[in-house]
Formats: sequence, structure tokens, C-alpha cells
Amino acid sequence: MKLGSMAFAGLILAVGLVYEGMALYMPRGSLAQPGPGFFPVVIGVFLIVTAVGCVLQETLAGKRDKAQTAPPLSAESGDTHDRRSVHKTFQLLVLMIGYALALKPIGFLISIFLFLVVAIRIFGYRRWLPTLAMTAVIAGLSYIAFILWLKVPLPLGILDEVFG
Amino acid sequence: MDLFSGLLHGFSVALTPMNLLFGFSGAVIGTIIGILPGLGPLGTMALLLSLTYGFDPTAGMILFAGIYFGAMYGGSTTSILLNIPGEAASVITVIEGYQMARRGRAGAALAVAAVGSFVAGTISLIGLSFLAPTLAKAALRFGPPEYFAVALVGLVIMSRLTGGSLIKSLTMIALGLALGTVGMETVAGYMRYTFKQPLLAQGIDFLPVAMGLFGISEVLVTAEEPVGKMQLQKVRFRELWPTLMEWKRSLGPMIRGSFIGFFVGLVPGPSPVISTMVSYSMESKLDKRGEFGKGAIEGVAGPEAANNASVGAAYVPLMALGIPFTPAMAVVMAVLIIHGINPGPLLMTEKPDLFWGVIASMYIGNFMLLIFNLPLVGVFASIIRTPLYLLMPIVLLLCLVGVYSVNNSMLDIWLMIGFGLLGYLMRKLKYDLAPLILALVLGPMMERSFREAMMISRGDLSVFLNRPISGTIILFGALVLLVPLVIGWIRPRIGRKG
Repeated sequence: MKLGSMAFAGLILAVGLVYEGMALYMPRGSLAQPGPGFFPVVIGVFLIVTAVGCVLQETLAGKRDKAQTAPPLSAESGDTHDRRSVHKTFQLLVLMIGYALALKPIGFLISIFLFLVVAIRIFGYRRWLPTLAMTAVIAGLSYIAFILWLKVPLPLGILDEVFG
Repeated sequence: MDLFSGLLHGFSVALTPMNLLFGFSGAVIGTIIGILPGLGPLGTMALLLSLTYGFDPTAGMILFAGIYFGAMYGGSTTSILLNIPGEAASVITVIEGYQMARRGRAGAALAVAAVGSFVAGTISLIGLSFLAPTLAKAALRFGPPEYFAVALVGLVIMSRLTGGSLIKSLTMIALGLALGTVGMETVAGYMRYTFKQPLLAQGIDFLPVAMGLFGISEVLVTAEEPVGKMQLQKVRFRELWPTLMEWKRSLGPMIRGSFIGFFVGLVPGPSPVISTMVSYSMESKLDKRGEFGKGAIEGVAGPEAANNASVGAAYVPLMALGIPFTPAMAVVMAVLIIHGINPGPLLMTEKPDLFWGVIASMYIGNFMLLIFNLPLVGVFASIIRTPLYLLMPIVLLLCLVGVYSVNNSMLDIWLMIGFGLLGYLMRKLKYDLAPLILALVLGPMMERSFREAMMISRGDLSVFLNRPISGTIILFGALVLLVPLVIGWIRPRIGRKG
């Protein structure tokens, strides 16, 4: 995890540097007449300093841990679980991206139906009939709540002519 | 008309069966909409504004008070049960409320939030009745240096909020402030960090960030747990209510939170957010059990009371001066203006019926919320009984649909997914989520007030210390920052000597 912590702190530092670099191109004005770039320059410096602090903290913590702990004899089962669980997170992220891409072309109702079926299966429930029944009920309730009651203009896609 | 006869008269105007029905309906609508992520109290009230054309002003105000307080409470419900703060003021409730829910104390957290909101509503309405004109004049003395001081101290409090790594909290604050600068800046209309995307011109909204950081990341983290462990602690029906000890522990925070919320609420800007932070910070300092961060009931009771009291306090400048300090108050003012009533200094003397009627109507709206929500605590808490394989996809669905419903924008969905991933990484690497989101809310106000203060003082930084109110606020912030450091330095030395 220390490598991950270092990488994350490094990523924030990189964001800080890019942010500051862009801020320096904005008109800064003076202290009496601060321009649009004044505040971003200050925040950029703040972000870089704190991110460097995080990198140093992680480096020191990493050195301390190395000195204190012996390597584990076998981490095989934990690794297998980690891989499997990260796999689920990845599947959910891909599913959400898929939902966002499908929302406009195929519409809200079909996309949430498919989204829910897949999400329920990712979370480990395997029986098809109850899954389809639950999904149909939730999709119907969402339609009533968001489209009929709250009048949210969610895209109906290919079902536009049926419900629109 | 003195205070008591005024209030009595107000209640005689407001307490009709029809008005009670309006109050109840408002509380029901507000709570339901507050529970659905996306449409907050402001959006709900704006949508229903046209409804009030047909009602008399008192009925309209009772309906709106019910909706406002109801939506606030509904937002807390999703924070406690599902880790989704529907609005900035609920972010603090998430910290302890969701931990309580995970330990099977969701019912207790919800009941304390409902009662805390009622107590705070009562205290703030008493304050409003007694002090409206005086406090409103004091609030008017707030200029840009004072706003900047408030935002700065808010950030200082935030850095010490959850007791995690200070440098990580500061980094998250910096990141939140940086995100707050995205979009068209308000003074010169200059585009910052928009990468030529017109949709980014309006900036990064609070909701996709909050839903991503809290809601989506929670689902992603839960998905990683082994199937057997993947269950929130279920609530037994006999454990739905707070125990006597929990009530006792909540009373002090409720009262302290109410006063904090009322006085902070008089300050224009995101005062409900700041008041919840101040209350949480105070309660965590007073904590002797070491429960903060693990589901301390004080961390729900105090901030919830503060949030509600600040809403009541926001009525002070509206009623006494006719100035709405928050967007939600602007909608409330619109209800009055629709009926040809201009709130302001003369309202109390020229139209006492209405002034006191409105105050009584807010009280009724608040009371109806308690009547509606306390019996439903069990129903809401039983949401947690839903199996996680069903609950988590529903949470994702609510986030995905809710975030789209605010601006009908695909960008918000993409932002939410991105911040969901960021929140997931932050949780894994033990970064606090709250400082980032609260800095995003406070950042724009901080920048605007800093620039205005500098223009007024011609670049003289001492303006923040020379003015009595801003100087006092900054001194308070310095004490918040330094006192724990000094105590931490002195305590071990005294211990060694003893």
C-alpha cells in the first residue's frame, strides 16, 4: 500500500504543478487589484507544498515500516482475495461508464434495467428470475418518481415514442 | 404588540386545520424529496413556488417551512443510512451518522437527528422572535474582510476536523480550493481551467463531487468485502430508539449546536455548512470517550441541531431587513412577494398579523416534521435491512439518476464517476473526504471576499485584523489552531513532572 500512497501523493503533486503552471499564465493583477490568476497562484503553491509534505510523510513512513517489519512468509490467499475484490470494483466502474454511454442512445428505462441486472450479479446474487422481477419493479418505480412525478427530462431513447 | 401577545396572535392566525394540513404536506413532500438525492430544498421550493399562487401567504409559508425543514431532514436520512450527503450541510452528519448505522444504531441516529432538528428549530425561532431587528443590523456590518475571515477560520477548523493526518487534510483542502476555481470567475468573466469545455464554465457543482466521493466510493469499497461479510449491521426493532444514555449524551450537543447554528446562521453565505463544522469540532474536543470517528452520537446531535438552527437564523435578515442571505431564503422571499408582501423593517409594525403569522407558521412546519418523521424512524432505518446485493445497486442508481436530474447534464454523471474513483482511492489511502468537499463549497466565497477586501483596502492586508469583527474571528481561528498544539506540548511535560 505504501507504493500506492506514494503514487497517489505524487499524482496530487503533479496535479498541483500543472495547476500552478496554468495559473501563472492567467492575469494576476496586484495585491490592491487582484486579477483572476491571483488566487489560483496562491492555491497552487499551497497544493504543491502540502503534496510535497504528503510525499515526504509517505517516504518516512515507508522507511520506518521497512526497518520495523519482517516480510510475511506467505501472502498468497490475501493476494487472491485482493485481486478478486479489486476486480469487482473495476467491473462496477466499467458498468457505470457503460450506463453513462448508453443513457442517451437507448434511454433511461432500458439502461437502468440492464444496469441493475448486471450490478446485482456483480454483488453476488445469482438467481435470474428474482433478479429480473426486482429490477423491473425498481425501474418502474424510478420511472414514476423521476419522470412522472419530478418531471426530470431523462432521455427515453428508443422508447421515446412509446412513453414520450 | 409585545412578544408574547404577538406570538399568541401569530398562532391564532396560523393554527387552523387547513394550515396544519399544509404543514404536514410540506413536511412529507420535503422529507421524500430530501431522501431522493439530487433535488435539494432549494430546487424543491423553486419547483413548488407556483403552487403558492392559490394559497394565502400564511398557508404558503407554512407549506414552505415544512418543505425546507423536511428536505433538510431527508438529506440527513440518506447521509446516515447510505453515506450520501444530499447537500453540503449534511457532509458532517455523514462522518458519525454512517458509522452509527454500520454499528446498528441507525434508528438512534435518525431519532436524535429529528429531535435535535426540532430543538434547534425551537431555539432559533425564539431567537428570531426576540432578537430579529438587533441581530439583523449586526449581520449587516459583515463586509468582505469578515466573510473572508469566516471562510478562513472554517478551513482551519476543517483541517483539524476528524483527527486524521494534518498534512493529508491540508492537501485535501488545497485540492478542494483548486476545484472551486474551475469555471468562469465572477469579477472579470475570465475562464479558468475549463479546457475550452463550455459546460465547465459554470464550475464544478457540489453534488457530483459529494455523491461521487461519498456515495459511489462507499459502494466500490463495499463491493470489495467478501460476500459473507458484505452486510451492514441489521437493526433490531427494539433497538430502533436511542437508549436513555444516548439521549443524555445528545442533549448538551443539541443545545450547544442550536446556539452555534443560530449565531453562525446570521452570517451570509454557506453558514449551515460552517455551523455544522464548528459544532462537530466543538463536540469532538469535548469527547472523553474517544468515540469520534467510530459513530459518536454527539457528532450527529450537535451538527444536525446546528444545521437546523442556522436555517432558522437565516430568516432573521429576511424578516427584519428584507434581505435574503441564502438562495433558499430568496425563494421564501419570493413566496411573500408573490402575495404583495415586502419583508423588511416595517413588516413587524405595519403588518404584525403577517410577521407573527409567518414566525408561528415556521414553528408549525418544524413541529409537523417531528410528528411525521419520528414514527417513521423505524421505516427509514429498516432500509438497512435490504440485502446489500440489492441496496448497493439501488444506491448507485439513485446517484446516477439524481445527479443528472439537477442540471440534466451528462457532464455531472462523468464528474461523479471520476470523483467516485478518487473517493475510493482516498479511502484506501486514508485521506479524509470531508475537507475536500467543504473547501470546494467555501473556496469561491473565500476568493470573492478576499479580492473585494483587497480592492476596498487598496491592498492593505491588515484590513483583516484591524476590523473588530474580522479580527475577532481570525483570533478565534488562531486559538483553534494553536491551543491543541500548546496543550499537546505542555501535557507530557506536566505528566513527567507529576
